[in-house]
Amino acid sequence: MSTETKPEAELKKRVEGVAETLRDQFTFLRRDRLAFAGVVIVAAFVFLGLLGPALAPHDPIEYTVRDDAGSMLRLSEPTGTALFGTTAYGKDVLSQFLAGAQPTFIVGLFGGIGTGALGFLVGLVSGYYGGWVDEVLMRLTDLTFSLPFTPMALLLLTFVTPSVWLMTGIIVAFLWKMPARVVRSEVLSVRERTFVKSARASGASDLRTMLYHVAPNVLPIGFLYTAYGIAWAIAAQASLAFLGFGDPTVTSWGRMLRQVFESGNMRVAWWWVLPPALGIAAITTSVFLIGRAYEEVINPEIQTEQ
Amino acid sequence: MSEFQRFLAKRLAISIGLTLVAVSVIFVVLRLLPGSPFESLVTAGNLSQQQITEIRAMYGLDQPMWRQYLSYLQSILLFQFGYSILRSQPVWGVLAPRLVNTLILLVPALVTTAVLSSLLGMYVGWNRGSKLEKLSIIATTFLRSTPVFITGILFVIIFAYNLELVPAFGMRSISASPEGSVETFASLDFLHHYILPFTVSVLYYSGDFLLLARNGVVEKRGSEFLKLHRAKGLSEMQQLARAGRNSMLPILTYFALRLGMIFQGLILLEVVFGWPGIGRELVLAIQQQDYPLVQAAVFIMALAVIVANLVADVLYAYFDPTVSTSGGGVA
Repeated sequence: MSTETKPEAELKKRVEGVAETLRDQFTFLRRDRLAFAGVVIVAAFVFLGLLGPALAPHDPIEYTVRDDAGSMLRLSEPTGTALFGTTAYGKDVLSQFLAGAQPTFIVGLFGGIGTGALGFLVGLVSGYYGGWVDEVLMRLTDLTFSLPFTPMALLLLTFVTPSVWLMTGIIVAFLWKMPARVVRSEVLSVRERTFVKSARASGASDLRTMLYHVAPNVLPIGFLYTAYGIAWAIAAQASLAFLGFGDPTVTSWGRMLRQVFESGNMRVAWWWVLPPALGIAAITTSVFLIGRAYEEVINPEIQTEQ
Repeated sequence: MSEFQRFLAKRLAISIGLTLVAVSVIFVVLRLLPGSPFESLVTAGNLSQQQITEIRAMYGLDQPMWRQYLSYLQSILLFQFGYSILRSQPVWGVLAPRLVNTLILLVPALVTTAVLSSLLGMYVGWNRGSKLEKLSIIATTFLRSTPVFITGILFVIIFAYNLELVPAFGMRSISASPEGSVETFASLDFLHHYILPFTVSVLYYSGDFLLLARNGVVEKRGSEFLKLHRAKGLSEMQQLARAGRNSMLPILTYFALRLGMIFQGLILLEVVFGWPGIGRELVLAIQQQDYPLVQAAVFIMALAVIVANLVADVLYAYFDPTVSTSGGGVA
């Protein structure tokens, strides 16, 4: 691999290479029925995340469903006026479900991307430089492993008013360790390959070698863990909201479940439980199904004769 | 000192260092963030100014921060957790039974799932492409990626509310007041309450073991030593047994890690099932700002993970000679 090519051309070539890989992955995903079902669900979720609040027939918190006589409809089963029924406080479940997709989507997306990006960088630097840099960064991951996520997040959230962005930040601060470790171990093996050594020998700087020669080769695993990060972030956000530490001004799926659970209506109000519960379960499962299909491609060791 | 002893000494030193840092982080989070543990009592108007001063002196809160830090370090590392502010009981007396409840739920669940799902994982890995493989992958992917409280809620709705097979909440009937641990845990009433959260924990943990075992066997399938075994005329099952044995190491170390994380309890599972474990207690303590209880619980959880990490690393280095013990990774 010569270092005489212009950096821009080199970069372009690499970007094209990445695009090619992505196309291949997509073709692959289409062949795997499970993963393709996952892609469809994720697409539906993205759609809800972007447009959910606009699609909601009523305001999820302000609007109260009333019957013809004008009295509040509490815990009504699905009917013509409220397609998904109503909550114990007379709110429209369908509207809450549609609007609740958005915070779930935002935290999931940015939490996942943040987790993937931070973890990728730490893993890359740690694996490439080795030595004391590696030692310090890896002890830092050990530390975040040893501090239990939920209690620490709850503690922080008791001191500061929870908001969607704060939740995203806390989630990233605790989840980056997962991709960091995996990316680091990949970098350790890529670092020893001939083309990396020859790049170094021909005078490329550490930074250049790391970014142009090592990073592209561990990028797929970075993407994979970004995807997992999205599922983890959605699960973490839902869990915190379920424990009552979510943003109190925003309807999210986790918060809907908390309200059913708290109000003690789980026994009767299946129409209130199922939409958010199945929504969260469907999106996290789909992301992992896609990830699994992807992992079979990336991990050369499980690509034996099928 | 042999290479292995040096590795052991280094890992031990790291673990001790980590414990110190983790303990300090807990201190910083609890003390330096705004809000004093007595604020709720003071704002409730239950205490006079003099009483406040007295209590602050009793808990050492009038001391300078560094002195508080040192005495905190000393007492927490000696497992002297002090008194719970709101329960007026020794912290250890509150936490110990809760920890036992958590462990009694999760240790058997983890062992069960480690054995069963690893065996299933090896089997489906060997029969790659089968219907059973597809099915087990969908099922365990669903179970391990869905937040555990959702699985819990779905199970409660189906088995407790609709089929009415088991109770939905708690560890024993309200009327039951057992004395002694034998009566508490070896009764039909307990078993009746136990079965549902136990099942959900088994299912929740199953995914990782299944996939680890499956991938391990899939990796081994094409390898030379199995070709030899085949040529020797061993049956499919005998070959699988050998492939399985050779993929045990990641499962073993993962088991050690999980065992450490069990001390955190499955907070959400405990909340959904009203199981009086350490995780649920910690959430309550955080809501009530009971700092001594919070710091002790978080410390126990962190320590368990650090110890488990150490054990897993040492296991790996001991059993797998290809892992370099000099600290760096294997290229």
